[in-house]
Parts: sequence; C-alpha cells; structure tokens
Amino acid sequence: MPRINSPAELEELRKAILSKRDPNRPCITLCSGTACHASGSEEVAASIEEEIKKQKLSAEVDFRKTGCHGFCERGPIVVIHPEKICYLQIEPKDVPEIISQTIKGKKVIERLLYTEPTTNKKIVHEFEIPFYKNQERLVFGSNGKIDPKSIDDYLALGGYSALAKVLSQMTPEQVLEEVKKSNLRGRGGGGFPVGRKWEECRNAPGEIKYVIVNADEGDPGAYMDRSLLEGNPHSVLEGLIIGAYAIGSHEGYIYVRQEYPLAVENVHIAIKQAQEYGFLGKNIFGSGFDFTVKVHRGAGAFVSGESSALMTALEGRVGEPRPKYIHTVIKGVWDRPSNLNNVETWATVPLIINKGADWFRGIGTEGSKGTKIFSLVGKVNNTGLVEVPMGMTLREIIFNIGGGIRDGKKFKAVQTGGPSGGVIPEKYIDLPIDFDELTKAGSMMGSGGMIVMDEDTCMVDTARYFLNFLADESCGKCIPCREGIKQMLDILTDITEGRGEKGDIELLEEVAAMVKDFSLCALGTTAPNPVLSTLKYFQDEYVAHIEQKRCPAYVCKELVSYYIDPEKCQACMICLRQCPVGAISGGKNQIHVIDQTKCTKCNTCFEVCPPRFSAVRRLSGEPVPPPVKDRVLVRRKG
Amino acid sequence: MVNLTIDGKTVTAEEGTYILQVARANSIDIPTLCYHPALEPFGACRLCTVEITSRGRKRLVTSCNYPVEEGLEVSTNSEAVIKGRRMILELLLARCPNVPLIQELAKSYGIKKPRFKLEDDNCILCGLCARICEERMGVSAISFSGRGLERKIDTPFHVHSEICQGCGACAFVCPTGAIKLEDITDKEPRPILSEFNVGLSPRSAIYVPFPQAVPKVPVIDREVCIHFLTGNCRICENFCQAGAINYDQEDEIIEAEVDAIILASGFDLYDPSALEEYGYGKIKNVITAMQYERMISASGPSGGQLQRPSDGKTPKKLAFIQCVGSRDTHHKLYCSSVCCMHATKEAILANEHYPDLKAFIFYTDMRAVGKKFQEYIARAEQEYNVTYIRSRPSKITENPDNGNPIVWYEETTARTRTSMEVDMVVLCQALIPSGSTKDISDMLHLSLNDYQFVDIPDRLFHPVDTEIPGIFACGFCQAPQDIPDSVVQASAAAARAAEFLSKED
Amino acid sequence: MNTEEISRIDQIIDKYEGEEGVLIQLLLDIQQELNWIPKEVAERISQRLNIPQSQIYRVVSFYTAMSLTPRGRHLVSVCMGTACHIRGSPRLLDRITDILKIQPGETSPDRRFTLNTVNCLGCCALGPVMVVDGKYHGKLAPAEAEEVLKNYD
Repeated sequence: MPRINSPAELEELRKAILSKRDPNRPCITLCSGTACHASGSEEVAASIEEEIKKQKLSAEVDFRKTGCHGFCERGPIVVIHPEKICYLQIEPKDVPEIISQTIKGKKVIERLLYTEPTTNKKIVHEFEIPFYKNQERLVFGSNGKIDPKSIDDYLALGGYSALAKVLSQMTPEQVLEEVKKSNLRGRGGGGFPVGRKWEECRNAPGEIKYVIVNADEGDPGAYMDRSLLEGNPHSVLEGLIIGAYAIGSHEGYIYVRQEYPLAVENVHIAIKQAQEYGFLGKNIFGSGFDFTVKVHRGAGAFVSGESSALMTALEGRVGEPRPKYIHTVIKGVWDRPSNLNNVETWATVPLIINKGADWFRGIGTEGSKGTKIFSLVGKVNNTGLVEVPMGMTLREIIFNIGGGIRDGKKFKAVQTGGPSGGVIPEKYIDLPIDFDELTKAGSMMGSGGMIVMDEDTCMVDTARYFLNFLADESCGKCIPCREGIKQMLDILTDITEGRGEKGDIELLEEVAAMVKDFSLCALGTTAPNPVLSTLKYFQDEYVAHIEQKRCPAYVCKELVSYYIDPEKCQACMICLRQCPVGAISGGKNQIHVIDQTKCTKCNTCFEVCPPRFSAVRRLSGEPVPPPVKDRVLVRRKG
Repeated sequence: MVNLTIDGKTVTAEEGTYILQVARANSIDIPTLCYHPALEPFGACRLCTVEITSRGRKRLVTSCNYPVEEGLEVSTNSEAVIKGRRMILELLLARCPNVPLIQELAKSYGIKKPRFKLEDDNCILCGLCARICEERMGVSAISFSGRGLERKIDTPFHVHSEICQGCGACAFVCPTGAIKLEDITDKEPRPILSEFNVGLSPRSAIYVPFPQAVPKVPVIDREVCIHFLTGNCRICENFCQAGAINYDQEDEIIEAEVDAIILASGFDLYDPSALEEYGYGKIKNVITAMQYERMISASGPSGGQLQRPSDGKTPKKLAFIQCVGSRDTHHKLYCSSVCCMHATKEAILANEHYPDLKAFIFYTDMRAVGKKFQEYIARAEQEYNVTYIRSRPSKITENPDNGNPIVWYEETTARTRTSMEVDMVVLCQALIPSGSTKDISDMLHLSLNDYQFVDIPDRLFHPVDTEIPGIFACGFCQAPQDIPDSVVQASAAAARAAEFLSKED
Repeated sequence: MNTEEISRIDQIIDKYEGEEGVLIQLLLDIQQELNWIPKEVAERISQRLNIPQSQIYRVVSFYTAMSLTPRGRHLVSVCMGTACHIRGSPRLLDRITDILKIQPGETSPDRRFTLNTVNCLGCCALGPVMVVDGKYHGKLAPAEAEEVLKNYD
C-alpha cells in the first residue's frame, strides 16, 4: 500500500478505490458481528463463498463480511446491494436460493423478509424496516457497509477526510473550539463535556500527554462499543488522532477488554493498515504531526474500566481506582496528562469535523447533543443496537423501534446505565433521552445499556442482581464499597429468599446513603442506584417480599412454588418427561403432581405445559395445596 | 502558603499539603486507620472524610489526600461526616468484632453491636503492612491478593517468602495485630537486644541508650539499622519534627594537645558462659547479677516485677552464687570486691518486694569491708530471710519438668554434699577492666599488671599515678572498687592532675 | 516446568522485554499458552523483568482472565448479563452447576470442565447463552444443558 503524504494524495487514492467499485454491481453483505457469529454467520459465510464459486459468479458478485448491523434479534442478516434487500435469520440452506433467485434472478424471496407484526406486510428494504427507519444511524450506520478488515472500504465512504482536513486546514486550537462548540458530551457514562476535558488536558503542564480509548465496556447488557470497534475500528482511530492533535499528544492507547477477541483482532489489523498508509506514525499527511497508538488488553475486571483504574492498569499494575482530586487530565498515566474518552465519543469526532459543530448541535436536546447508540435488550421484540437522536422518548425507542414487549406482556420498567443506573417505570416512559433528564429520574444515561423489563421481572431480584455483580467486581480497597455492598447484598438476598424483616428497607437506605457519599470511586458511589431507584418506584414489591414472603413476579425461587392445578391437568406427560430432576409423578390418565421436596424451581414445567391446558401454576406468598387424593383424570370435553 | 479554615479555625499551610496533615499540625483530630505519615496516602478506610466547601459547592472528600487550596472551608465533624463515619465503623465492627482497636473506635461513635451479621476477621485491609514493605523497605514481600471480599494480604502463592528480611515493620505498623511474621517467613526474627537491659528486652535501631545517657539524644545503631543495611526505610526522618536526623553523620576524630590525661575507663562484666558448669546461656532461669538489677529496677523492662525468664513466674526461692569467675584459677584470680555487698542488697530488695521470698547466698568469703557493711549483712540474715551458705557450688542443672535450676554444692561448714532446687539463680559475675582499658593503655604505653588492670607503681603514696608522669588512672580500671571508692579516687586523680599542670608552668 | 515450556515462556517474555507497563499483557499471553500461571513462571518473569513476585501474584489473583490453578480442557461460560438474567440465566446456571458439580470459578477434579460466568457476550437476542470452547448455545433451557455438555470429554 502506498504511503499517503498529503490530503491531495488521499483524494486520489479514494478516487482510485471508487473507480474500481461499480455501485451497480451486486454485493452481498453479511453481518459478522459477534452476535450474528453466535447465530451461525460463519457457516452462512462459508456457504455464500462456496455458492458463488459454484455458480461461477466470482467476477460479477462481491461478498463482504461486515460489522454489526444492529438488528441482533434477527441475525444472521444479509443485505443485497445495490437494492438494499434485507434478508433476516439466514441459514446456510437458504444461500443457494438467494444466489439463484435474488442475485441472478433479481427476485425477492418473501419468506426471508421482515414481516411487520400488526399488518403482516413484508418489507423488502432495510431502510424501511421500522427497526431501522426510526433510527438515526450517523455513527453506527457505516457498519453495514464496510468490511472492518479492509481500510479501503472505510476510505471508499470518505474515511480519514476529517483527519486530512484537520491536519491541513485547522490548528489544534481550532479543532478544540469546534469540539467545544458542538457540546459533545462523553458517551461512556459520565457525560462530561468533551471539549472542556480536551482543553484541560491541553493546558496541563507537561510535554508528554496521552490519549486513551476506553473500550472496556463492562456494563452487562451493553455491547455498543464492541460492535463499533469490531465493525468500524477506523472511525475510532480517526477520531483519536484528531483528538491527539487538538490536545498535543503523540501517544495513544486503546484499552480493549480481552472478552472481545474479535475487536482486539480488528483493531490490530486497522492499526497496521493505517500505519501502512501513513495515517499513523510520523509526519501524518505531511503535516509534521506524529502519532502512534498501542493496544492494551483488559483482563477481566469491571472496575478497571474506571478511568483512573484503567490508567493504573496501563502502567502494568493492578487496575484499582485512585483518588481523583487531582484530575487525570493533569496527572494520569505515569503521572502525565491523559485524556480518556469512550469508543463512541471518539467515533463521533470525525463526523463533527466533517459536518461541523452547528450541524451536530442541530440534533438532540438543549443539554444533550447528537445521537447515542443504545443496546436495546431484554423483553422487547427487536433486541439489538439502535442509534437515536437525543430527545427521542423511551416510548418511541421501546415501541417504535423495539417493537414493543415480546410475548404480549406488559411493560414494567426500563433499566438504563447498567449497575450504576436505575429503573424508569411506566409513568416516565415519555421521558426524552437526555443526560440530565435520566439523572433527574433517578437513573443515568450510562454507557447505553437499555434493558426492558416486563411484568415477569422482579425488581427486588434486579436490585440484588446488580449488587451481586458489583460485589464480584469491587476491587475491595475501600470500606464503604467492599463492606457496604456486601451488607446490602446480604439484606437483599435475605429478602429474596424469604428472610426479610421489618426495618430492612430503612437499613438498606442507611447503608446506601453512606456508600453513595463515601466510596473511593464511581463503582461505589453509584452502586446504591439500582437499589434506591427500585425502592423509589417499586417499594410495594419490597414490602410484599418482606411482609408477605411473596414475589409478585414469581421470580425469587425460594418464594415461589410450582403447582399443577388438578382441575386443568390433562395428564399429557409433557412436563413429566421434561422435568430435569424427575419431580413430577403421574401417568397417562393420572393427574400429575409435583413433589415439592424435589422441585428445583427451574420453570421448565411452566414453560412446556401446553397453553390450552395452562395447568401449571406458580404460587407465591400462599401455601401449596396438598395433592388431591383422587388422581384419576377426568378428561375435559372440548 | 494558603489560608483555609478548619472547623471555623483559620490556619495557613503550604500549598500542596493535604488537609489531614494541616489539621494534625493544628491539633485538630481526624480519625484515620489507613494513614501513616511515612507512606503515600491510601484513601481506603474513608474514615478521615471531611466536608469541604470549595467554590460554593459542598463535597465529602478524604482529608488524607485532598490538597489544600486558598479559601477552602473544612468541617471535620459535620452531621454528614459523623453519620457516614458511624456507618463505616458499624460495618467494620461487623467484620472485625473482636479487634480491640475497632471496638474502641466504634464505641466512641456510639456503636456497640452492629446491625449486621458478624464475621470474625482481624484484618481491616488498611494495607499498611504491604505498603510499608514496598514503599519504605523496598522489599515487597507481601501484597494484596484477590479483589472484593476475597481481598487479603498474602505472600506470593501463599508460601513463605524468600525475600522477607524479617524486619518486622509490617507487624509493627499493623493496627490490629493481624500480621504474624511466622505466616510470612520461616526466618526467625532476631530481636535487637538492649545492652542496657542486658538483653532482657529489645530496643529499636534508633534508640536512647539509657535514661541517664549524656547527651540524652537517640543514636542510630548502624549495624542493625535497615537504612544502613539496605539503603531503604528512613521512616524516623518522617517523624522527627525537629528535622534532627542526619544519616550522613560520621564519627569525628578530634585532635587536641593536652598536658595531662586521666584514665577512667571503668569495667566490663565477665561473661559467665565461660563457666559451663553453671549453665548460663543454656538454663533459662540462670541469670547474671546485672540482669537481676535490671529486672528488679522499677524503671527496668518488667517494671520492677521479678519474672523469671522461662515462664514469667515470680520466684519464691532465689539463689545467689558468689565469685562467678572471680578468685578462680580458671578465670580471674582476683576478687571483684563489690559482689558480696551487691548480692546482699539484691537479696534484701527481693524480700522487700516479695515478703515470702527466700534468698540463699552461696559465698566463699563475705567481703564486707566498708563502714556498716557487716551490720548490713547481719540484718539481711536476721530480717530479710537471707540465708548465707558457705559454699562454691560445683554445678547447676535444670529440672526438665518445670525449668527450676538445681544447685549442687558442698556445705563446707557442715561438710555435706547436697543440692537445692530453686526457682531462679543469680550469678554474681566477675568484673573485669573494660575492653578499652587495654587499647588505651597500649596507645599510651602504659603497663598493665598481672590482672590486666592499669599498673600503679606506688599504691601507698601515689595511688592514682601511673608509671608515666602526667597520666593518672582512677576507678576500676586500676583496681576493683565500689562507687564510693571510685569517687574518692576520681577526686584524687583530678587533684593530682591539677597539681601536675600547675607544676608544668 | 520442562525446558521446552521454559523456552516458550522465555520467548513470550522476550516479546515484551524493555517495555513499560506490560505485565498484564504478558500474563495474558502466558495464560493463553499454558492455561494457567504457575509459580515457576512468576519466578521467571520476576527474574528477567525485575518485577517483585508479589506484584505478579497480585495481578494474577486480581483478574479473572488469569488463573492460579490449571483450567479444564473445556471452558464453559454462562452469560449473566442483565438481559440474559431476566431471561432466566440463573436457573440455567443452577442446572449446570448441578450437572458439573462445580461452582463458577472452579475446575472439575478430572480437569474436564472449568465453569465461569461472564457479563454480557453481546448476544442478548439469544439469551440465555452458554458458550463451550467458543461455541455458542443460545436460547438454552435448563433441561437442554445436560445434552450439550455430554458431548465434551
């Protein structure tokens, strides 16, 4: 690959790449993000490659394995260009048909299309699918068009033009002003104004400064950064180099958690390719600006994603947080000024440079500009990664994009901000997505995890789940977090297992108040949030657990019993055969009975009992009726 | 310098110092557990949290690592602070309910019984041990391991450390006594024994030799000081508020021209281990008279309580053996002159402290030469339960069941050979001219007599003159004598020197 | 460790010699190579890179990606991310611990399986998910777990 020494050479290269690409040539793109990978995209890919070869179409048809498309519920996803025909949940056996019918025959295969749930209408084009239609995929959208292992794909879309513009037409101060003007706020959870942070770093004393990409993404349920880094690593790199220029840094780090091997791999490839073209290294675009970047893998600790802990880990020491009374932008890695931002934040920077701060400010709310990528997961129909403008309401996201609650259940709450965040109940479902609005409601934006919960979710169990996570991940250095979370978890475990006592809620709140104010780092100070917010909005559930030993959502195993209603049981033997511990007794004409001493509450019988019988009942807060004496089945008529 | 207020009191401090340091320098108390002036602030216990108002905003911060700034307002005991501290202590007490330090701290904040399930740990994870080992000792033998509730202090791979230097700094600095050196190393730490207390108690590497030392300032024993051995530590420097510690001090060689010299180099104690038959150094409850003196002294290591070495029990039966090394053809031929009287004194003191204690003095001759000395001995026998047995015991053995020494002797007056089991034996060891006496005498070309004392050619008429005019010797370096006699000789030497100097003119 | 293993370890250390802040990266590579971090390896690293053994031990014991005991032949990971949690992963995990007779973080005595939990694999649409040796098993009901695990020896 030739070294690009000026913006003009970049444009020439881009033209050369584009000239070799015929926009009308059929191109099959296959989503190869980790989620689709888990759904079998590798096998589909092999199948496509084989079929193209078999049908001797290698010279006429392109095949591109792209990054995550976002519609993870329906993966593996195939989009046929240039028509943008979108096929969902593809299996290897569908491939020959796709090649012969759609590629060669130019015909659409109905059964592989998206079906609109209410009208049953088939939708052909990706951009018309409600999931995509209602999004504004400014940062994430390119994922579907590029092979992350090919820098030329990124260049074909205009990549690195922002960097060229910055290095040839703008001073570092001008870049700083532009980012400040855009009001971009950090996308990692803190929401701190990015321009101000860069400025403080730039002005900090010291020759050597660092810029860091935080790709530790520890929130369970959040995987936006992973998909962005896997699917479009160059967007992050470009933003990083621009930021480095503005701050005056020549060395960067990308800290990726080791649980993301594909992201690590693709970032390494991207760096190598960028180096070959000269976008990294010495004298980038002939501007005299040097910049190199190293990849550093995490090793399985959520707390190491906290900015001061991350910087300590970069020094090769255990990634525990440090006191931040002296900001890390002044004294960070090796006590030098270090600017850390989230993956999504860096990826947004080239857009701001290319389209301008004014354009960016035109999107979003007063306090929160631009778009945000969320991982919309849980009890929604369309789980996946969505990018929406700030200001869109939770209702719009969950219902218009998410397709509403699955299995016809009722919405109960949406959890944002991961273990540092809180739940937002139905009465606030029209809240706009905005840093400050979410915080006011007792939650926070966080990194973008959005877990939708329905009537089958127990809020007390949810609070306990998050505390359990944090107890595992706490570094254990400070007393409030280590001992405080432990005791809160103890109390919550007692409550969910039927040992709740009067006064537990008050004690929880008292401990929570101290942990919130006295912990050393944000893991501790935000740890009480799930408890406090579930207490705020769902205190009745806590009271039911404590006073009636009842779990209204039938989740807390110790408080739930499974009972087969003898009036409804039709002795079909399905639950009996499926019970993993053989706790159900009965026969062909004998009413089935669950042996309560053996039952492990795995929920299998409840799930497999045919809906037309619905004989398995969950009981909570009431005793299990004793088995009926006469167990001979009387078949129902009709 | 910046101005700030702490609890309403205006104070000044150097920029960059931490709130806690400033508070302590101004006698304002803030509780801490993980703070140590010689270590980097750790911020783990959060107990030192204070409420500050900075730029109009109220915040809770830890005072051990928050740098002071101009106009800072600090409250060390606001309601928010007290409430939080109380909860921290309650949680800590639930973790360590049997640690006295935590019990006291919690009690001072009104907490007696935590509202949580109790554990039984005694480590509060303050990290002082690991931090001092890494930061000041430069060894890093122990460190934290694990995280969260699994966090603990450990040696690598939970085996005995090969690099632990046995300095005991970790155990010293541990506020709860959770650190046990035997868990860290299989080396047995060698305590630094106090010379003044004749090895009965330890001392530190930097120490004041004894309360009456002149000058009464601490000295650093370079043979055992970690700094001089390894280049690390220097913690004492952090604590000395006068900044008086100077590790670069060297011995000064002072040259002076003088016209007269008085030698008063004193005595040393003869080591009774040379008398193997008495078992000193092998039998625990056989001690020297000097050790006994320190034991029974109210300002000594056991505060005047007689506690025998093997088990700390108070002896009921005490034996004093005279002429240990003195008047002995195998050791020293001469009589050390003071032992008979000091043994009597020691036996009397023992009985005064413990009225039912019996003392037995095994003597050769009782040298009671001074004024009222004989009466003193008689009183000891009559009023203080002291029995004098004319005998020079042949050996001392040990009763293996209880550590009692058994004295084997011939009672010369009764001509019986017998043994006596006692609780403790005191060896009245010989006194010898100090080691420096020979060195200085060689330098001055002074002869020593057959008994290695400085030779006085004419004892009758010139009792303090050595063979060299202008050089005088007084005190024990020239002959065994007690304190009054030494004092008299000292005055004599001073007078003789003055006389000599006036003649020179 | 035999000489062959020592030389492999040395090669990995060679890669990082002279650089700062590389301990975690180095240990990750060794974990990948040997499936655990033996005491001898820590001693070797300590010797060659002048890092106190206590610091190496601290790092290995802190991070879940590194192991002080040998890991099993097959790594079974159950996702405990929030989305999987509300889709019933705790029940799945319970079933798996019953089948394998070990708790998360432990290795079976016959060194067949190591069980651990992970927080969010990013396949929330497939929850609850169990991964065995990199192969994803999604929408797994507790009753199906045993069948899947039977295939691994």
